[in-house]
Amino acid sequence: MILASKAFFLFLLITAVGYQLLRGRTAKYAFLLVASYIFYALCSPWYLWVLLLLTGIDYLAAKMIEDASDERSRRRWLKLSIVSNLGLLAAFKYTGFAYDTGLSLGHWFGYEAAPRSWEILLPLGISFHTFQGISYTVDVYRRQIRAVRSLLDYSLFVAFFPQMAAGPIVRAIEFLPQLVQPPRLSFAQIGDGLHLVARGLFKKLVIADTLDSLFVSLVFADPSSYTPGAIRWAVVAWAVQVYCDFSGYTDIALGTAKWFGFELPANFHLPYLATSITDFWRRWHLSLSTWLRDYLYFPLGGSKGSAARTYFNLMAIFVLCGLWHGATLAWMVYGVYNGVLMSLHRIYDRTVSGMSWFDRWRKTTAWAIVSWAFTFLQLILGLILIRMANWQSGGTIVQSLFDFAPVSLLRKETPSLVPLLIFLGLFGHMAAVVRSRVKVRVPNFEWPQVTATVLAIAGVVVFSPGVGKTFLYIQF
Amino acid sequence: MPLSETTPRTWRQRLRTPIRVLIGLFILDVGVWAFADVWQRHSPDDYAMRVAGCNHHPQELVIVGGSPVSEGIVPDELCCGEFPRVFALGLPGGTTTEFYHAILRACPMPPKLLIYGITASDINDSRNEPHGPASLMTLGDVCEWATTRPESREWVIRQYLLAKASRSWSLFRYRHGIRMWAALQADAMAPGAAPEAVREARELRNYADAIQSGNGYAPAAGFVTRRHDVNKQTGAELPPFAFLNKYKTGSHLKYLHKLIDWSNANDTQLILLDMPVTSDLEAQYPEAFAEYRERLSEIERQRGVTIIRAHRDIVGITDAGFADTIHLNGVGAKVLSQWLRYRLDEFKEPSEPNDDRLRAQAGGTRP
Repeated sequence: MILASKAFFLFLLITAVGYQLLRGRTAKYAFLLVASYIFYALCSPWYLWVLLLLTGIDYLAAKMIEDASDERSRRRWLKLSIVSNLGLLAAFKYTGFAYDTGLSLGHWFGYEAAPRSWEILLPLGISFHTFQGISYTVDVYRRQIRAVRSLLDYSLFVAFFPQMAAGPIVRAIEFLPQLVQPPRLSFAQIGDGLHLVARGLFKKLVIADTLDSLFVSLVFADPSSYTPGAIRWAVVAWAVQVYCDFSGYTDIALGTAKWFGFELPANFHLPYLATSITDFWRRWHLSLSTWLRDYLYFPLGGSKGSAARTYFNLMAIFVLCGLWHGATLAWMVYGVYNGVLMSLHRIYDRTVSGMSWFDRWRKTTAWAIVSWAFTFLQLILGLILIRMANWQSGGTIVQSLFDFAPVSLLRKETPSLVPLLIFLGLFGHMAAVVRSRVKVRVPNFEWPQVTATVLAIAGVVVFSPGVGKTFLYIQF
Repeated sequence: MPLSETTPRTWRQRLRTPIRVLIGLFILDVGVWAFADVWQRHSPDDYAMRVAGCNHHPQELVIVGGSPVSEGIVPDELCCGEFPRVFALGLPGGTTTEFYHAILRACPMPPKLLIYGITASDINDSRNEPHGPASLMTLGDVCEWATTRPESREWVIRQYLLAKASRSWSLFRYRHGIRMWAALQADAMAPGAAPEAVREARELRNYADAIQSGNGYAPAAGFVTRRHDVNKQTGAELPPFAFLNKYKTGSHLKYLHKLIDWSNANDTQLILLDMPVTSDLEAQYPEAFAEYRERLSEIERQRGVTIIRAHRDIVGITDAGFADTIHLNGVGAKVLSQWLRYRLDEFKEPSEPNDDRLRAQAGGTRP
């Protein structure tokens, strides 16, 4: 059952109605928790025990950390929580990768072993709920929040089905206070939720899935059969596809959470308007990038130590960020690539900052456009790494980007629907730019929102492919 | 946002936005419904359109069956003094159950002669065709199915209700037609917008026009010229014909008995035409064809129905007359239709059919 399926919306309808009809905090939350576990069991039936085990461990560890009288004991419980979460994450996600890497290294040294004939299925959302669990126990350890006394509340925080499969990675401090009293649905939440869900479905089913089946998959599977112009369109289309797929999921998650009265944190802030790689990571998958910053980068020392240490820390978090997305060499290279870019940007920024002429120039629109274009080029080079079928085809695609032959729409190769879908996918970005430039103020935002919702629903009904593809980030 | 916006009010106030969205969708739906003809022309409900086409005039001869009939019978070849109006009611993918219901809806004035172009997949109980409950059946038909074929009771009720529900929402009902129409409009403005969709849209529009204007003969674009012998020469492995998988007979046959009863009650002569198939298909599913032919013989014995066995060797069609393992191509269809015409004449005064030229085109001679 994926979030953009009819089965999910039937499940959602039953759960939302049941939740609203029940009275009393315990009954409501127990109902929602059971529904979340049913959702998990329907998606990942063999691994419900993983979720239950980690929930139990983290709940207990946080309580023990808070109740412990000495620092050693507190630290011991924290270690138990972190090792349990990371241990299970590593076991499920990285065993195969480690085996393959070991095999390659062994081959290098003349040792041969049988190639892997087994595959480990990944439990649903393990990359997300393990990070939630760690952030909770660490926050309790740091005395930033109190440990939750109710197992029901904590279990719901971990298993809340709208965000369990692919985030956002919700912090305890953001979610648990909302559980004190069952939130009553507000007028705005119902409308906003509906709008977000319709928008998310449109992004996912109409834009991302259509771009993928119409063009992106074909070009990335065999780039040598296409001209450089078509490949350039495909790369931009892939950037829009991955954004619409993931932000579409997030919109649906945020929208459905609103129908239960809960607010989840935003995960995107117009990422393709970033004017530097650092800026991009402040706009893309915010819940992950802030998690890595707060629970990895800062504990490693952040930028407080020597320059070498800071660059090491940056590389460490981005390599881990890459591996978090997927246990493959391509993802690791993607992490290294971003780490290197972040380090280079830091060097550049520290070098030119303070030069008055340069600072003045950096405030101009022309500079913003150049920076944006250069950043976007860096981003799409990174995105090629994670989509290319192999290194050779990746090389062909990159070569095409720098082939300065005249650009044409090349209608025979590039369906002209592709630019339209790219435009629709980036409409939110463009609208934000226009709004900021012309200072458009809509006194009553409800009617435009209602119209957009109606059109998005109509678009999904008419133009979505019959069979929805799974969300890219659910695979992580 | 002002505090009053987030403060809980009554349910009616809180549901203001969803209600407005519903009103917006309703208005949009009325607009879509107003142009239903346009969408239907771009994505026809071929079952409903063929039934309506047959129903439009009283017919003297109706040939019913699945895609082997829609591709393989040319009604013009069967027109003669006794049968000035002939209609081919071929319902691709249908089963005997669908054909019975199609005849009920399409022939309020029973024809003189009803030919059922039957083939093995029509009576395979492992398959059901959802198009039937959606386009051909009334609630009464569904209730009758539920008692006649209880093993698929839940399936037919679900299909019928889903079809009724989806048809109550025009946007959903005509979604494919709107998409096809949009593809053609986009292609007119910017050629190459979505080549695959445009090709499909053109084919569907031609198909809809052919169904609406003719006598039911509207072969799919690819079938007319394709040749099975040429396909085989490429060395490609023959794909399985899924409609014959898990072959079992029994409950669809009940509707064949109903069709026979209906013919008897309405003074219509019923002939079963055992449609020709390739030797490759028979080799792929020998047990299915053995069982099918046994059932056909039982019907012949028990009910006294006339069966014309149009075996490929008898008709004189080789692989060159087939588009694939089961469907005839344009030439094959003409050969079969002319052969059938002679056979029908034989019922009155026996004679020897003779058209060597056509048979040579189809790649075979009469044994």
